[in-house]
Amino acid sequence: MGKVFVFDADKCTGCRNCQLACKDEHVDNDWSPIALPQPDTGQFWLNLKEKVRGQVPKVKLSYMVHMCQHCDAAPCMEAAADMGHADAIYKRPDGLVIIDPVKAKGLESIRDACPYGAIFWNEELSVPQKCTGCAHLVDEGLLPHCVDVCPHGALRFGDEEEFAEEIAVSEELIPDSGVKPRVHYLNIPKRFLGGIVVDLEEDEVVIGAKVTIENLETGDVMATETDDFGDFWFHQIDAAQWRVYVEADGYMTRVIEASTVEEDRNVGPIEVFASLT
Amino acid sequence: MDKNVRGTSIVKGLGFNSFGIGTNACTVDVDEEQDKIIRIRPFHFDEHYTPEELNAWKIEARGKTFEPGFKTLIGSLSLSYKKRVYSKNRIPYPLKRVDWDPNGERNPQNRGKSEYVRISWDEATSLIAAEIKRIHEQYGPEAILCEVDGHGETKVVHASHGSITNLLNLCGGFTLQSRQPDSWEGWYWGAKHIWGMDPLGQNSLQNNIIKDISENGDGVLFWGCDVETTPLGWGGFMASRLCSWFTELGVKQIHISPDVNYTNAVHADKWIPVLPNTDAALQLAIAYTWIKEGTYDADYLATHAVGFDNFKYYVLGGEDGVPKTPKWAEAICGVPSYTIKAFARWWAKNAVSIAHCNGGSYIRSCFAHEPARLEVALLGMQGLGKPGANQFKMLEWTLFGIPTVTPLPPSTVIPNIGAAYRGFITGTMPSFIPKTMIPQAIMDPPVQWYGHVAAGLPREDQFTGPFTFPVEGKSRIHMVWSDSPCWETCWNGGFEMQDALRHESVEFVVIQHPWMENDCNFADIILPSNTKFETADIGTDSDSGQWNVVFYEKQAIKPRMESKSDVEGVGEIAKALEKFGGIYENLYDRFMGGKTYDEWIETGFETCGIPEGTMTFEEFKEKQYYPFPTRKDWKDIPAGLIEFHDDPEGHPLRTPTGKLEYYSTTLAENFPDDKERGPIPKWVAVSEEHHERKSTERGRIYPFLLVSNHPHFRVHAQHDDVTWLREIETCKVVGPDGYRYEPIWVNPIDAGKLGLKTGDIAKLYNERGGVLGGVIVTERIMPGALYQDHGSRVDSIVMGAGGEGLDRGGANNLIAPTACTSKNTVGEVTSGFLVNIEKVDVFDLAERYPEAFNRPYDPDCGLIATARVRQGEE
Repeated sequence: MGKVFVFDADKCTGCRNCQLACKDEHVDNDWSPIALPQPDTGQFWLNLKEKVRGQVPKVKLSYMVHMCQHCDAAPCMEAAADMGHADAIYKRPDGLVIIDPVKAKGLESIRDACPYGAIFWNEELSVPQKCTGCAHLVDEGLLPHCVDVCPHGALRFGDEEEFAEEIAVSEELIPDSGVKPRVHYLNIPKRFLGGIVVDLEEDEVVIGAKVTIENLETGDVMATETDDFGDFWFHQIDAAQWRVYVEADGYMTRVIEASTVEEDRNVGPIEVFASLT
Repeated sequence: MDKNVRGTSIVKGLGFNSFGIGTNACTVDVDEEQDKIIRIRPFHFDEHYTPEELNAWKIEARGKTFEPGFKTLIGSLSLSYKKRVYSKNRIPYPLKRVDWDPNGERNPQNRGKSEYVRISWDEATSLIAAEIKRIHEQYGPEAILCEVDGHGETKVVHASHGSITNLLNLCGGFTLQSRQPDSWEGWYWGAKHIWGMDPLGQNSLQNNIIKDISENGDGVLFWGCDVETTPLGWGGFMASRLCSWFTELGVKQIHISPDVNYTNAVHADKWIPVLPNTDAALQLAIAYTWIKEGTYDADYLATHAVGFDNFKYYVLGGEDGVPKTPKWAEAICGVPSYTIKAFARWWAKNAVSIAHCNGGSYIRSCFAHEPARLEVALLGMQGLGKPGANQFKMLEWTLFGIPTVTPLPPSTVIPNIGAAYRGFITGTMPSFIPKTMIPQAIMDPPVQWYGHVAAGLPREDQFTGPFTFPVEGKSRIHMVWSDSPCWETCWNGGFEMQDALRHESVEFVVIQHPWMENDCNFADIILPSNTKFETADIGTDSDSGQWNVVFYEKQAIKPRMESKSDVEGVGEIAKALEKFGGIYENLYDRFMGGKTYDEWIETGFETCGIPEGTMTFEEFKEKQYYPFPTRKDWKDIPAGLIEFHDDPEGHPLRTPTGKLEYYSTTLAENFPDDKERGPIPKWVAVSEEHHERKSTERGRIYPFLLVSNHPHFRVHAQHDDVTWLREIETCKVVGPDGYRYEPIWVNPIDAGKLGLKTGDIAKLYNERGGVLGGVIVTERIMPGALYQDHGSRVDSIVMGAGGEGLDRGGANNLIAPTACTSKNTVGEVTSGFLVNIEKVDVFDLAERYPEAFNRPYDPDCGLIATARVRQGEE
């Protein structure tokens, strides 16, 4: 039965328990024949990457787990085969991809085969290394250490069948990679666009204003209303150029342009002006 | 698999608050054959007990269910603790300062610079015993200052703090460094006077508040509260899960702080940036809006409060001619007045609670009692105690063993292992000094203050005194003995402390600690303590929010190098003192109380609260834990302050009138001339001691307010050497010289103006000195404020007060104000103070200060223990 990891970015709070548990499990511990010890620092068989999003006062952090994807069409296995070391990396019946620490000795260039940058070169032991899915624990009926310590169930591990629903709506870390990864991602952050609508003349926020954004490339349109703070938010939108329309009773409509091409965008205060009555 | 991947599983409490108050129960897998720790993982309550036996609780609200889970929700600081045990910064053996000669030149001026030589335990304990005897005879026991408080490993029989005082108490006494309620300064010195709430000043009636908010709450305010950071040392991630639960329920979470802390960043629905320590202005403008718009609960105040009219008069400007309008506040706090009004209106029409996690500029700056009191004043104006409207904490859910401070379903018993605790139990001593006044007390006695200052005393204690050090007819300080050597980087104005520890009046400094850090470098003799993995002990965890549990902590590994536990080390000194006879006769036996360590553990087991007949000590050791089930009647416990809300006469507060005191009669009576903490909570701009506002003359020279929170990657001064944390990009900034500098967050607007970019090394400074840090240009801090966590290890370039002091480690407490919270309170001011920032060239500095910059250093671990040990003699 195939094993998979499922990571839900919405549930992750960035505590880094997974990253540290990986260190705890593999640094100074020799799990041969699955893996030799990981160097103390500098290598992240599981790396939690942080991104700061937006601008004051609409700022968020998002986190993504980066690790070996235990691909069913693993480029590292192909690379090893190409180098004449087909047995240096193998796929277990449960789907976990393992670099054999004895047979892969000296094969530094395997590191470069991974499109995810998930393989590291252990200089001291002269061996390429990566996440093993804690196969030594899985074989004992235990969870990978990273999964065991996740307080929010953001990183999960188990049988493919068990996660069928999640897998059906999941995304790949690298879209259309063609490598059939066994790490499935939910709610990968896209972009947000937010702001606040204000009437500076009255020194008040404008509540219930209709805010519409138009994707200037596709013409797609979305709308929302400002809340009790005059704030509006559009979450999980595309990286694009936008036209932002603000309409409110008693005010002239304002139109501004904003970009989420490079990063998430807080357009800040949009001042609206009372219309003549 | 040919090897046992699990190893032998034991239990350790990996919380770091010390004092025998355990938290963070962890399972530790050990390879006994190889004498090594394999891994640290969550502890499982259900290993030997069923959900029925635990009486597993759940909260059901709005069609959803919250369950606590059966394994502990430990965090990064517990998970990475193996690196602390095996740190390169562990003190390997007893050390003596090369130029300290008890029979000749003592060279106190060289402390902090001198090298050390290895000595034996015998030599070290003989030297210490001889010094204690000499000081006793020459000056009397009060000449020995004991620093035995603060955080540290939580141990019981091998207590990390206080065995020193246990020993000295048996042979004449000592002077106690009395620890003020740090981290909750403002509530302690302020909020108590408006709503009683002893001993913390924060709400002490928190039962069932989470259930109440789940059912009735509309919003929760996080006023500088970082749920993803502060509980990690003592509680874990239950609080984080509660934030996710609030999101699931649609309870709006609003963060009010200068920075986007780790909770704000992932849980907040809204962030209101406010300049450091200007919250009082924001709060007053909210009150103003409610008063002007008639949106506060006047009926409630008529029956639940006294002095509201005085407060209202002040808010409207009657007293000082300044109406506390949103526009007035905007100029001070940086929040647009339109947002202040919108916020006030949203609050007035919803059931809103306030969550806290201690710490930060909100509560640890000058005049911190004012925002703390104003917060309660605002809660009162909206019917404090009504469904969904309370104040609660996201950590310390059984602090001081109080059953009413947990907002989650409580267990039947809060286990108490005080009977087995071999450290010092909090109390008061005839000769004592507030921790915040130590440098002045050493260098410039006498000093004077009000209150006994031990963190857990009732409100009335603030009116006792004035107390003086030295006590009349008794000696000043001539010896310092510390088991908590982090004063410089954790308290107020550390450069002064560097001078105090080098003062000519201090003839002897002895420090015991597992790691060579901070004040250790000022010791004449250093003793290597060990970690809790190296001894057997008993522990508890009552702060998980799941179930309270007591556990046997089996010894995991042999003591590393020449280390001994703090209690064992002090025991060796007792043996050395015995040789002098007289008051020291039979001292070791008296110190050990006639019991072995294992017998003390058994005493803990017998008295902790496990119902009699439940299990034998042997069974306890075998099962390794006993959990206390959820109280059967937990759902019936009144939520928060609902009883006061419904019946203020029948359920009065602990204030003199039993009501909310918007005008504190006891403050008026006791300190009639106090302009900083008067009877009514106010906006206090400056005082004689504090000019920490951007609008002052100092504010033009040092134009930024520094936010110095409880650190995300440490517990105060602990964990700064953990290699797996230090390599995280946001934990340290790698300088061009390879040194890992403590981050300074700079908003892009300020960075642009100053020409700073990510990766630059810069100096934070004011007239008290400077500390270095690595710049991270980020939107996580508002313009006009800078951010640097506190507690980084001191790495002195130039020591001492006077302005020339410079620190490479980024220990910004060194440049915090020396003066206390206000005239009649002795809290610390360690966040929200003025600084400036400028880029430095580390290679220039290295040329100017070769000694500091050439000290042996390991970027992964940072400072290392042997750096100051004389070569060839280690």
